[in-house]
Amino acid sequence: MTSSVTQLPQVGPSALSGIRVVEFGPYVALPLTGRILGSLGAEVIKVETNKVLDEMSFIPAWSRGAGQPEYQRGKRRITLDVRTEAGRDLMLEMVRISDVIMTNFRRNVLDRWGIDFPEIRKQRPDAIIMWQTGLGGHGPYYTYKSFGILVQHLSGVSLMTGLPDEPPGVVNTSYSDYHTGVFQPAGIIAALMRRNLTGKTATLESSIFKSGVATGGPALLDYQVNGRGPQRRGNRDAWAVPHNVYACAGEDRYIAIAVSDDEQWVQLRKAMGDPEWAAAAEYETRLGRRRNEDTLDAGIADWTRQHESLDLMEKLQAAGVPAGMVSQGQDLNENAHLKSRQFYQDTQYWEAQRDVKATEWTEGESVSWSIPAKMSATPIPFGKYSNIGEDNAYVFGQLLGMPNSEIERLEAEGVIY
Amino acid sequence: MPRFDEYTGEHLIPPYRILDLTDRRAAFCGRLLADYGADVVKVEPPSGDPSRTLGPYPGDVSDGEQSLDFLFYNTNKRSITLDLETDAGRGVFRRLAADADVIIESYDRHYLTDRGIGYDDLRGDNPGLVMASVTPFGSTGEWADYAGDDLVVMAASGYMQITGEPDEPPVRQGNEHSHYPGAQYAAVGILAALYYRDFADGGVGQHIDVSSQEALITYYTDAHPALLWRKLGQNVTRVGTNSTLVIPLGAYPCQDGWIAAGVITPREWDALAEWIHEVTGNDEVLNEAYRGGNQDRAEHIDIITALFLEFAENFTVQELFHEGQRRNLVFLPVNEVADLLADPQLAESGFWYDIEHEDGSIGTIKYPLGIFHSEEVSARRRPAPALGADNVAVYQGELGMTAEDIAQLKADNVI
Repeated sequence: MTSSVTQLPQVGPSALSGIRVVEFGPYVALPLTGRILGSLGAEVIKVETNKVLDEMSFIPAWSRGAGQPEYQRGKRRITLDVRTEAGRDLMLEMVRISDVIMTNFRRNVLDRWGIDFPEIRKQRPDAIIMWQTGLGGHGPYYTYKSFGILVQHLSGVSLMTGLPDEPPGVVNTSYSDYHTGVFQPAGIIAALMRRNLTGKTATLESSIFKSGVATGGPALLDYQVNGRGPQRRGNRDAWAVPHNVYACAGEDRYIAIAVSDDEQWVQLRKAMGDPEWAAAAEYETRLGRRRNEDTLDAGIADWTRQHESLDLMEKLQAAGVPAGMVSQGQDLNENAHLKSRQFYQDTQYWEAQRDVKATEWTEGESVSWSIPAKMSATPIPFGKYSNIGEDNAYVFGQLLGMPNSEIERLEAEGVIY
Repeated sequence: MPRFDEYTGEHLIPPYRILDLTDRRAAFCGRLLADYGADVVKVEPPSGDPSRTLGPYPGDVSDGEQSLDFLFYNTNKRSITLDLETDAGRGVFRRLAADADVIIESYDRHYLTDRGIGYDDLRGDNPGLVMASVTPFGSTGEWADYAGDDLVVMAASGYMQITGEPDEPPVRQGNEHSHYPGAQYAAVGILAALYYRDFADGGVGQHIDVSSQEALITYYTDAHPALLWRKLGQNVTRVGTNSTLVIPLGAYPCQDGWIAAGVITPREWDALAEWIHEVTGNDEVLNEAYRGGNQDRAEHIDIITALFLEFAENFTVQELFHEGQRRNLVFLPVNEVADLLADPQLAESGFWYDIEHEDGSIGTIKYPLGIFHSEEVSARRRPAPALGADNVAVYQGELGMTAEDIAQLKADNVI
């Protein structure tokens, strides 16, 4: 069945209008790049197939697909099996009408499908190509497998986290997938400018590995200059003191407090009600606080334990002391500040089901974040969330000019599927 | 379309003039743009950017020109000094802003406007000006005036809630991770705004408001904190070095360090079990009860972890890494910085850029600038600038000041 053409909402002028992008590949980083470019006004066409669904469609396991709007908003989603001859031909037609082609498939896979980079260049000589890889597209690890959460180990970050002699410190997320996802739109927009100014095109290869290492910080230089490995300081800081997280009232509740000068320390003392212990001379200077950091932290924790983390944060910030509650999901949902910035918004989604065409999945309610950049002249819309294949009529019919009968025939043959 | 007579496309970004007023919390934005070709001029107070006095230093000897913190975040930028606390300094700044394409800043939201040099003050003389503000909590909302460093942003975003061990307090990610997401989003916003102004008939500049808290929230999207609360009334938590989300998944000690491994599919488990059996001869690993997808092993996680540790202690990190990958398993080394600098993949990926420091004791060292590998473009290779290194080029060469003008501004401590 050919669906009708869906109109995308328009909230104002958009920065990248007139740019068309083909997004070809699953997981986190590449779809995030597509969401960002689409939100900025590029027409992003995501090519996928019901036959081999992105495993991310089934994540989180407790609400399969409810997390997908965060990656897939603001793009046109079509189904196409590029492994068929007709599918490959249509893919190349899409390449011909697009400015940017981005993919995270491996070289040998693209070769097998006949959608390799030389072929893309032949079809569209001035295309900007963004090739996202895991560990690298060339070089000794190019066949190696990885996934995001483990790249924090590979890129050196886990051994910068926590304390010396502790196991590697881990964050429970697909670490540098996000860096890659946000580096890539910068590279793509710059390459489009360069193309406009010089007529030159570019193929850019990114990797999840490199993105993680690029954000390793000054420790990368310290080793080369001083032969010293990363300083694992836990929550303490090279400069500021006190600088830690402190337990608050309730279970698993904490507040971060970061005092960078003596004035902030005076304000913290006042906020604590000027307890006798804090007036001791050894805490007056930064150096003294450093020398006595253990007793200092213990004293502060005695106070924070009696209070709610949100109350403390507001009280300390009002007094000029940098402080932040360690937010949990409920806090983020209910946070007045994020609400006034309309950061989270309600969205529909479709509950993913294996062996059922996506357009037949059940609709449900979900929530997702807005792009964290508020642009005054080209406001970024929250964007529509299309289901897989929802935009077949628009792309094949309107953009490629295929008659309905032809689209229906290819649907029946499993090409547009 | 703008005219860049000298620009031939050697670098990805045309040489747009960007004034960088950020501190280290957002300095990566200007660095990213400078690495790829923008002309980023760091505007420092006459006493220098505070991170010049932060260190670490070569040999731990304090030296404002060799703070490795400053060098990391300011590669490929230029430097001028200017005191925005003085009338004269603000006057000079207005002239600079009138010809700039972009200003990036990370002051609290009242700082520039109170001094008459906020976005609305400056765009009158320069309607094409793009200005990005990167602040802990953004320029609007209840918390807009709240202060924060890396720790505070990591806490308030909830990123810390899922970092560390389950029975211990949340932990700060040690690379000061909150410095990157906001800076990266600001760089994307700036490039999009320039594209709009110059190539999409927009013609005008704009202001971009980036909250580091929000940006960092998006950097752990797959933990779904808000969604988990709405759907199940639960909060995300820390899972520690060895996660129960995928079994096994985590970092495990071996002969000379730690190996990271993750086994998801039934096929991967079978390959791992066979390998463990080959090495240890322990038949327990072939137990049918452990086969299947990753959560099928959930109730056996303790014994599986024990089996894995018994196996791993027979190997070095590199042996496990390469042999694991040969067996089509996701095995990765847990790297120290030293390992990264010696890594053959990074070496062949055009990732490290050798940069020579002509002054001081550092010499030539590697910087991680090759985020994109390309035959067509390269990153710049210029070390972070000495304080005020470009005063003459900018004030005399571009603003047309005389040597006497500059001497006077110096005498008045403006530059």
